[in-house]
Amino acid sequence: MSDWNLKDQTAVCGVGHSPFGKRLNRSTIDLGGEAIRNALEDAGLNKNNLDGLIASFGTPIGADADTLAYALGLKLRMYNQTWAHGRFTASCLQWAAMAVKAGLANYVACLASISFSGFRKPMMGGASDNEGAREGGGGHGEDPVYGMTSPGAGSALIAQKYFAKYGATSCQLGAVAVAFRKHAALNPAAMMRTPISVEDHQNSRFVCEPLRLLDYCQINDGAACVIVTTSERARDLKKPPVFISGMQGLPAGREEFIWTHPGFGVAQQSVFDYQPELQPVYRMAGVTHADIDALFTYDAFSILVWSALERWGFCRPGEAAAFTQDGRIEVGGALPINTNGGLMSEGHIMGWNHQVEIVRQLRGECGPRQVANAQVIQWANAYGDSLIYRR
Amino acid sequence: MTDYKKPLPAISTLNGPYWDGLKQRELKMPSCNDCGKLWYPPAPFCPECWSRNFTWRQLSGRGTVNSWVVFHQAYFSSYKDDVPYNVAEVELEEGPRLLTNLVGIANADIVIGMSVEIVYDDVTDEVTLAKFRPTEQ
Ligand SMILES: [Zn+2]
Repeated sequence: MSDWNLKDQTAVCGVGHSPFGKRLNRSTIDLGGEAIRNALEDAGLNKNNLDGLIASFGTPIGADADTLAYALGLKLRMYNQTWAHGRFTASCLQWAAMAVKAGLANYVACLASISFSGFRKPMMGGASDNEGAREGGGGHGEDPVYGMTSPGAGSALIAQKYFAKYGATSCQLGAVAVAFRKHAALNPAAMMRTPISVEDHQNSRFVCEPLRLLDYCQINDGAACVIVTTSERARDLKKPPVFISGMQGLPAGREEFIWTHPGFGVAQQSVFDYQPELQPVYRMAGVTHADIDALFTYDAFSILVWSALERWGFCRPGEAAAFTQDGRIEVGGALPINTNGGLMSEGHIMGWNHQVEIVRQLRGECGPRQVANAQVIQWANAYGDSLIYRR
Repeated sequence: MTDYKKPLPAISTLNGPYWDGLKQRELKMPSCNDCGKLWYPPAPFCPECWSRNFTWRQLSGRGTVNSWVVFHQAYFSSYKDDVPYNVAEVELEEGPRLLTNLVGIANADIVIGMSVEIVYDDVTDEVTLAKFRPTEQ
């Protein structure tokens, strides 16, 4: 382990977002600019304070970091950008934390600004999606040559195998969609606020069987931003700091498949009995599962919530189906998950809207969906990246 | 054959021998001459020992269904008449897993673990796809 310990050395000092909607008819620069402006205002900063920018999602669906800097008249000392996709959230915040701690920048805005509706043809799945043609295959498990396209199909492969392996059902998966919609109903910013039942879930059409329409996230436009600085600076700003206590970036390799944990045995993964162990992020933050007041996870598809719960040891392999029943993952339950409504109901900002919600939960700003006395919240994905925040 | 409208593979220096193999009705994958590891998708060195000393080994073409899905949405206009169509992941006897379509079976009859064998589907003059059908008992 490095002796450069970043635990609680950096903090989120401001959060902001644009409206989320199906067809906002606004450019990604416009949306990103609004999210950054709102986050600066939340922090009590102005655009001249901002000297770092990390975009997690650039062209074609999002706004590139340098383009944003140009349009907004920012004077940046550092900027960075990941390849498109939602699995880079923790990595972006990790880089922001390192940058401010190393003095490369004082305030780094991290964001995604996206427009799915700004294109005439769908950008995920189908003829205008070139990902499956990458050398070595698509990152979501695509192979267009056999009609295998869209990220949802890769997770449908996981769901099918999970159902067969553990005797779990689509009805049980419905409980995840129902819980997130309940949260969204309490969130004025959410796109989908009409409550749904497990019956609604079961009656929704198959998209890629065994996944149904209500197992899928929203496809929408919008932007969300968090500003990272040193804890020292954050303490002097308008809002109480939310400290980044633990970080764990994105793993990769033949044993990893984006939609599940190692050992599950899809794509080229080996098959073994995965034993969730204490991950480095918990050691770094100095907490265990028992300390986590709420969990946030990348929920592009309902099954990913099960994968994440099992990967991180909140339950054993095969137990997530039962774990997510009876309101346990709802506000007021033992482990509230995605209290904003998630990508499935609040909107799909690649998980950046989840970071905004985590910060607001830890500041106690969430009104009717507030998790009582939230002290420690974890962002943890099926793929193995994670952040632990504390107030 | 010439009016095939569905997506075709991007054939490269990396995967060329794989597609050449299928055209000749051989399922071939790179196999390490130093440590014996066999891998897919094609990579220019052995992921186990990093040796570049490998040969394209012919496989049995037999395997089992590891998982499968059914597309009800036509993401490609060329698949519009095919929905609902299956995509399966077949685990080959030799270890690697391949995405493919199962033929000669109704979607409702597909079961994880069922035995399948390769069928060569010449979709154009240049491209042959590896599809799988239930193994004859
Ligand atoms: Zn080798």
